[in-house]
Amino acid sequence: MTPESQTPLKPVELLILSMLSAGERHGYGIRQDIIDHTNGAIALEAGNLYRTIRRLEADAIVEESGRRAAADSDDERRRYYRLTPFGKRVLAAELERLRALVRLGEQRRIIAPLAARRA
Amino acid sequence: MSVPGERLVRALLALYPREFRARYAADMLDFYRERVRNDGMLRTWFAAVPDLVANALAERFAWLHHEAECAPVVARMHTRYREEHMSILVQDVRYALRSMRRRPSFTAVVLLTLALGIGANSAIFTVVNATILRPLPFADPPRIVDFTHEDPYSSVSEPEFWDYERGVAGLEKLAAYSTPSIVLDGGDGDPLRTYTARVSRDFFDIVGVKPMLGRTFTPDEFSPSTHARVTVLGHRLWVQQFGADPRIIGKTVQITGTPFTVIGVMPAAFTFPDVEASLWTPWRMNPDSLWTRNNHYLRLVGRIAPSSSLAQVRAQVRTLDTRWMHDFPETYSPDKPLTGTVQPIADYLLGPTRPFLLALLGAVGLILLIASVNVANLLLVRGEARRKEVAIRAALGASRSRIMRQLMTESMLFAAFGALLGVAVAWVGTGVLVDLAPGDLPRIDQVSVDLRVVLFTIAITMLTGVAFGLLPALRMRRGDSADALRDGGKTSGHVASGAARRTLVVAEITLAVMILTGAGLLVRSLIQLRAMDLGFDPDGVMTLQVTLPRGKYNDTTAALFIDQLVSRTRSLPGVTSASAVDNLPISGSDNGWSIMIDGVVVKTIAEAPSARPEVVTPEYFRTMQTRMVRGRGFTPLDRAGAPFVAVVSEGLARTLWPGVDPIGHTLKMFGAQSPWTTIVGVVRDVKLRGLQKDIPGTMYFPYAQSGQSAYVTPTSMTLVARTNGDPTALAPQMRRIVRSLDGSAAISRVTPMRAVVGDSIASRRFTTLLLAGFAALALALAGIGIYGVVSYGVSQRTYEIGVRVAMGASAASIARLVMREAAGMTVIGLALGVAGALVADRLIRSMLVDVSAGDPLTLVSVVLLLAVVAATACALPARRAAAVNPTAALRND
Repeated sequence: MTPESQTPLKPVELLILSMLSAGERHGYGIRQDIIDHTNGAIALEAGNLYRTIRRLEADAIVEESGRRAAADSDDERRRYYRLTPFGKRVLAAELERLRALVRLGEQRRIIAPLAARRA
Repeated sequence: MSVPGERLVRALLALYPREFRARYAADMLDFYRERVRNDGMLRTWFAAVPDLVANALAERFAWLHHEAECAPVVARMHTRYREEHMSILVQDVRYALRSMRRRPSFTAVVLLTLALGIGANSAIFTVVNATILRPLPFADPPRIVDFTHEDPYSSVSEPEFWDYERGVAGLEKLAAYSTPSIVLDGGDGDPLRTYTARVSRDFFDIVGVKPMLGRTFTPDEFSPSTHARVTVLGHRLWVQQFGADPRIIGKTVQITGTPFTVIGVMPAAFTFPDVEASLWTPWRMNPDSLWTRNNHYLRLVGRIAPSSSLAQVRAQVRTLDTRWMHDFPETYSPDKPLTGTVQPIADYLLGPTRPFLLALLGAVGLILLIASVNVANLLLVRGEARRKEVAIRAALGASRSRIMRQLMTESMLFAAFGALLGVAVAWVGTGVLVDLAPGDLPRIDQVSVDLRVVLFTIAITMLTGVAFGLLPALRMRRGDSADALRDGGKTSGHVASGAARRTLVVAEITLAVMILTGAGLLVRSLIQLRAMDLGFDPDGVMTLQVTLPRGKYNDTTAALFIDQLVSRTRSLPGVTSASAVDNLPISGSDNGWSIMIDGVVVKTIAEAPSARPEVVTPEYFRTMQTRMVRGRGFTPLDRAGAPFVAVVSEGLARTLWPGVDPIGHTLKMFGAQSPWTTIVGVVRDVKLRGLQKDIPGTMYFPYAQSGQSAYVTPTSMTLVARTNGDPTALAPQMRRIVRSLDGSAAISRVTPMRAVVGDSIASRRFTTLLLAGFAALALALAGIGIYGVVSYGVSQRTYEIGVRVAMGASAASIARLVMREAAGMTVIGLALGVAGALVADRLIRSMLVDVSAGDPLTLVSVVLLLAVVAATACALPARRAAAVNPTAALRND
């Protein structure tokens, strides 16, 4: 199975993978990262989040990295997730795909090229 | 640490598929707790509840459709879960197969019972399906109606048809048909006598069936002025006579001497109005020269208008009939009312067969029930033996549902194997049925296995599996494992399951009584029919129908031909007498003709009495051995030119000349031209049409005079010859005589008279034979059932019996003990069975002849028969019980 065969990803999947690219996270952590990144525009709820994780796990894009007690609390062991090596390649493939689209948008003057903006 | 609302979240999590929950529920709960801590209860709830519910449904849906794939961990879990389920099934099946193999004779008995039960049902259903369940080969059959008149008219005349066509608004279209006999020129081969369906203009539009080849008739071809002679062939004729020639369209066939162009061929399924009618020709009705109103010979078929209904059509027909009775008093007399009968075409075509086939279906259904009961019984008995095994499994931690499941798997497996064997039985059985089936069973040639038959077989297999598996499984499940282990599965639950087995035996006897009574009543009816006085002796008589080519003979030459034919036949070795008749008894029609008798003045035809004419040659009554009551039969002297004579039946004599000797009186056909004929003899009544129909008053005319005294000289006569030997052996010689006299005369219906009689009750004989077979099967199964239960009971009670014997009980009292139990079951079963039979046999009342549905003789015989079988079935175990050796019995336990 090639990474490309897993693309295009759903927006939620892309967000989750992007957050996990920084390192392992538990479910609630992923939600917090996404809220931070999108300035609160997107806040995942448990059902949606874990359903997506179930799918990503099934496709071997993310995996469980272990269980640890929550920092702030008693004895609650929670699962942490991380990207698999294959998952990293899927994310890369998806980003490449998006980059090509961004290029296209630049050429067609829908958005200004980065270089031009910087200038 | 828990937070508020956790319980509700848990509840919502229960909505998720089990596999999903196992993996993520704890984390999701944790997620929720953190969320409540950070964002507060209300806000969390507002977002979380819809999210949890919506995703649960989505997830369920994904699992349901196997779209969900699982992560390696989840997958393993899931696989394990599924494997567990699958492996339970596989385990159960393997286990069941093993235990089947371990008891080959038990398995064989169960499978054989089921195979017979399921096979018989499938076979009968296959026939029922093809003949009465499959839709008729018409377009929208429910709207098509058959339309005719009740007796004494029993058909429709041309002016009536003409008026109905215009006067019944509820009928979109109406067509008339008749089926005259024709002779088809065989080319190189022999001429073929057959029938054509002569149909009016809208016939093919009404039935809505497209021809397989070519076309049907155009309106022009019905015009009285057309010179086109066209015909549409039936499939069978096309295959048999024309070798299924695909280029038949446009070719010419000779129908009774006239060339007709073939314009179409109908599909095989379409044999309306009659299987015997092998082709269709247009009836070019000329409204300006219709036959008289009292000349009834047509049957009608119509299509109900979309805006109308059967009830409306019937009401409109009634109105017309009443008006005509008033308008045409010279045609319809008040004591012979004109009553149109309109019925759905299915009732007309399938009605007579339906009760017979449904009775058969009901009987095989009961057989299957008995078979199921027997198998349930066997399983119960074996279940007793397996109590210990089940108890051990339960003690080792098998759940009740798990045990139940395993037992049901076994039952279903038995049913499935039984069904496989049953299909083989059905396959053979259907073939036998079709071979045995009488030719007049509609669509019997189209019997085949279709989806409906397959579904039926699957359905009855499942039902049977559940029926015989459920009770034993329930019993087994309820058993207390500790008890079973303690006393070695010998006595615990014995009383309860003994009661269940006895109930099954009672049910078996009840069902057997019902089937036996039904079969008994039908057998008695058949005996009554066979013993019925026919008015002639069919044994030793050979018959052969000869049809003279039209136009080639006049009255004189025809008489000469028939005379030579009869006298040459009479000189054949072994033939004691020979004669000829235009309508053979039993198979004849019942067309009455209006007549006049001396001394009675009739003003209109409506007032005229009617009688059925029969044209015969001398020695006819001697050949058929119809006894002359008075006077004489015909002799060669009663020829053309001699005084006109007639012979009447006893029935006609009684009606027309009550209390008076009819000999010397005169009668004539209605109409000025017909000559008066003098009655010279009276003969016994003869069954002219079917065995169960009334005998119409009959008048006989000599063939040589029939051209004048009976309107016309028949061109089609049936040669009858009585012999000392085997009548069928005469057939080749009789054929040869016809051929040598005239090669262009058509020969048909070469049949011994006994077979003509037999064929008329073929459907009934077929049903009765089958039902009797089923009844025998039911009896055998019931006997086996009783034997099984009693014998098992004895083996279970060996210890008890041993104690009794040790205490001084005599062998006779032990045998009585065993017999008493069986007698109890039998009496209850018999009582219920008789009650059931009294109710159920009402359903077959319409098929009974001279026997009432509650016929005491039949019921008593059935009860005695079953009592004997029951007594025999428990005599053996009773003897064994009586022979129990107390020391051995007590030592063993």
